[in-house]
Amino acid sequence: MAYRVLITDDSPAMRSFVRRVIELSGFELSHCYEAGDGEEALALLRREWVDAILTDINMPVLDGEELLRRLAADEMLRSVPAIVISTDATENRISRLLSLGARGYVTKPFRPETLRAELERILGVPVD
Amino acid sequence: MFFIEAITALPPDDAAQGPAVVVALEFDGDPAGVFRMSLARAAAALIAADFLGEDTASLAGPQVDEVAKELANMICGAVLSRIESSATFRLSAPDIIARSEPALHGAFPRNTCTVETGNGLLTAGIDMVTRTCSPTTRSAS
Repeated sequence: MAYRVLITDDSPAMRSFVRRVIELSGFELSHCYEAGDGEEALALLRREWVDAILTDINMPVLDGEELLRRLAADEMLRSVPAIVISTDATENRISRLLSLGARGYVTKPFRPETLRAELERILGVPVD
Repeated sequence: MFFIEAITALPPDDAAQGPAVVVALEFDGDPAGVFRMSLARAAAALIAADFLGEDTASLAGPQVDEVAKELANMICGAVLSRIESSATFRLSAPDIIARSEPALHGAFPRNTCTVETGNGLLTAGIDMVTRTCSPTTRSAS
């Protein structure tokens, strides 16, 4: 099965990198959407179905924390799992974001296999 | 993610010489402060090419800047995660503050680390803002 993923990050370079990493990792990707902030992400999610969201935290307009809150509050969107990709590796931040509804957390910098493993874990992809 | 390896750590005085991309960002937390990264232009271009999967010749200046900002973001985040491990910090969006002249000794933070990347120097520096009094004693009665 191939999956549809949304990448949310205010850095075009980072979005491009994450997309490339996912493609090169061998993860079964059918479609990859991009958003520059949480507001764009929500607008896209109301038009397109995705299987997983990858999101940065520090973004203008609507940041990653608020995006997680709004996803959790939305009847339709709360079932879409979100993975946070962030430079902050402190326990406080990770616990906080998981309590807001993030299903996974990847700290930058990361290895491609780490991101793939986290995607497969939250999507319940069987391990070979 | 960034395919570079520090060849050698250098003394603090050997900050980046020659054209360099300089990125600055601030952070809130306890303590708060500023972070600066200076990266030789040649190194910045090669790092950006690796990061984006492109040839250096096909890269535009803004793309190199974007990757330099992301690198600064990651270095600062990694440092703060270690030294403020029990707190929560927030990074500002990184800014490019210089693209050519390297004479930044006066403007650079006091706590720095310089490494040779093989294509030029990378210098990262951090300064913490010291509170003048504890939060509980701020208000005078």
